[in-house]
Amino acid sequence: MSTPRKIYTIVEETLLEGGRPVEPAARVAVVAAVIPNPWHGQGFVEDLNPGIEETASAIGELLAPRVVEALGTTVEAYGKAAIVGLDGEIEHGSALIHTLKFGDHFRKAAYATTLLPAVEKRGPAGIVFDIPLKHITDATIRSHHQSIEVRLADAPHPGEIVIALAAAAQGRPQQRLAPLSTEQ
Amino acid sequence: MTAAQTPGIRKIVYYQEETFLENGQEPAVPAVRATAAAVLANPWTGSGPSADLAPSSESVAPQLARVLSDRLIDGLGGAERIEAFGKAAIVGTAGEIEHGAALIHTPFFGNLVREFLEGSSILCFADDRAEAGQPLVIPMWHKTAAATRSHYQTITTRIGDGPRVDEIVIAAAASTGPRPHPRIGDRSTDPAVTSAILEGANA
Repeated sequence: MSTPRKIYTIVEETLLEGGRPVEPAARVAVVAAVIPNPWHGQGFVEDLNPGIEETASAIGELLAPRVVEALGTTVEAYGKAAIVGLDGEIEHGSALIHTLKFGDHFRKAAYATTLLPAVEKRGPAGIVFDIPLKHITDATIRSHHQSIEVRLADAPHPGEIVIALAAAAQGRPQQRLAPLSTEQ
Repeated sequence: MTAAQTPGIRKIVYYQEETFLENGQEPAVPAVRATAAAVLANPWTGSGPSADLAPSSESVAPQLARVLSDRLIDGLGGAERIEAFGKAAIVGTAGEIEHGAALIHTPFFGNLVREFLEGSSILCFADDRAEAGQPLVIPMWHKTAAATRSHYQTITTRIGDGPRVDEIVIAAAASTGPRPHPRIGDRSTDPAVTSAILEGANA
């Protein structure tokens, strides 16, 4: 994998929601790396596997421990993102994150078993995107369905891709919906 | 950290950028830049333009200085690693810019951030009145030698759902080093430049 140009770390703490205290404060962390699009400048590439082999596992291995460390506690919900610069295809971002080679690093670091919910999007540097998160062992746990909004200044450039992981220490602040099982 | 210890703070966002390559090359001194931003209820919502801002400024600003400095120190690996700093306020649209100024431009904020981050320079700043989600570029300069040109730099902060109209975002920013490839000299290397250099130039 090529060296990332930048790595971003964001930690969001919510202390009040709906006017009431959230105790302990709700924590969500995001770590994102901006890397060269492995297929930039090559026209339409039919077989994405060589680029996937070169990059997907390495970027997952880079990001997973960082996001767990940034959260600083047990991960209860998680998600991922690929934001492709304007010269690339959405498929390029999907290629890097929709493989077990990428996600298994995060699953292992977070003691997780479920598939990672994802956002894939193409846009200019500074685009705002939302990463969906779900519970790490049971994607039907409704209290943990949430998302975090992210904006990275200066990334991705047209020939780059942002790859990001998100981790939450809990469900939504003030979550109070009945579980799925009560409707079945 | 609980809501009870930080009255009025709804959310705290730490944002960090670590640069590994700039223009394709690794910086000689890789710097990490960060902002810590808190969104809190505007203590002066509904008050008039002659309201005395001092009481709330003196009670709220020191807590903001502590909370934001702590996150920068934790995130960047210690006050001794921090070389440049800055500060900022974004006031929700029901407030005055003066409300943001009251929280960042008095000793009750600035002196404490300077002390916690072990600096001596004046803190440079940005402020704005805006809707939630407005990005704000925060300037930084060297924490003990503000004229150090290599350390003139900025970082952009943003809280997606803040400030609401009756809230204020207060931010502190810090960097562990200079711009990635600083090479524009310094005061010690500058030639004497005056308007005489324009003489003879086509207008």
